[in-house]
Amino acid sequence: MEQLLRHGPEGSDPRVLIVPPLFEEANRLRRTLVQTMRALADRGVASLLPDLPGQNESLVPTVAVDLNQWRSGLADVVAAEPGPVLIASLRGGALVDDGADAAGWWRLAPVPGATLLRTMLRARVASDREAGIDSSIDGLIGEAGHSPLMLAGNMLSPAMVEQLQEAIPVETDPLCTVALGSGPSDVAGSPLWLRAEPGEDDAMAAAMAESIYGWMSACGLR
Amino acid sequence: MRTMDQSEMILRAVMADVLGLGEARATALTEASELFGALPEFDSMAVGTVLTELEDRLGIIIDDDEVDGELFATFGSLLAFCRAKQAG
Repeated sequence: MEQLLRHGPEGSDPRVLIVPPLFEEANRLRRTLVQTMRALADRGVASLLPDLPGQNESLVPTVAVDLNQWRSGLADVVAAEPGPVLIASLRGGALVDDGADAAGWWRLAPVPGATLLRTMLRARVASDREAGIDSSIDGLIGEAGHSPLMLAGNMLSPAMVEQLQEAIPVETDPLCTVALGSGPSDVAGSPLWLRAEPGEDDAMAAAMAESIYGWMSACGLR
Repeated sequence: MRTMDQSEMILRAVMADVLGLGEARATALTEASELFGALPEFDSMAVGTVLTELEDRLGIIIDDDEVDGELFATFGSLLAFCRAKQAG
């Protein structure tokens, strides 16, 4: 990873590796994720937030990466940590968090790759229509079979498009999957990763930190 | 107070979540409220997100050829579409 944001007390175990959502959803949630890291630090827990290659501040072109590279990059990050790591992944992050040798997994609102791809394809069709260009989802998928495709500001390689179509969150162990909601095991908040204008939610960040901390304790890591 | 059917409740919730309207603005949407081209937040990315969320929350499949400019003209046109899809 070119960049890895660290926060919290040095040398404390386990560390939490936060795997952000993918593409635009990552930008919308980034601030709330950093607030979550602060809330974890308040509980004495150190955390890491990587820039996946081709995402956020990374200098790697998005067209040069795919889900397999993200999966192995995350495995390398976990392997380089001196102690146990709990992975906390959000949305599409759950598609690439299963290659690492982690002590536990926590996932919020995991989503199939096909859902992310469909949203981006629809955005492309809608913007093409505005520009007077006639395009279709099937036509674009066909195009992606042989050449990179620009979708919602992301230049995606044929390999990336193919992997997104197939990718679903893989079962890991021990795994805790959490949804947004008002139930006892849910995280209270709104789906900020969907929002057209990025927002922030300190209360939701605190609720995420509490849920992660609870799972860490349940796994016997704390 | 007027009662809302399930399609309307879900559509208002999706609009609130995607456009970040807040409860007051989402509740204030009427059937005549203009969407695409009228709300600055309603760009092409929001169109994609709204369609995918409606599929997910209403349990429907929206075909490519059902989506045209008219669908997103007003809150009423989008609501009528959701109700028709849910009625199957």
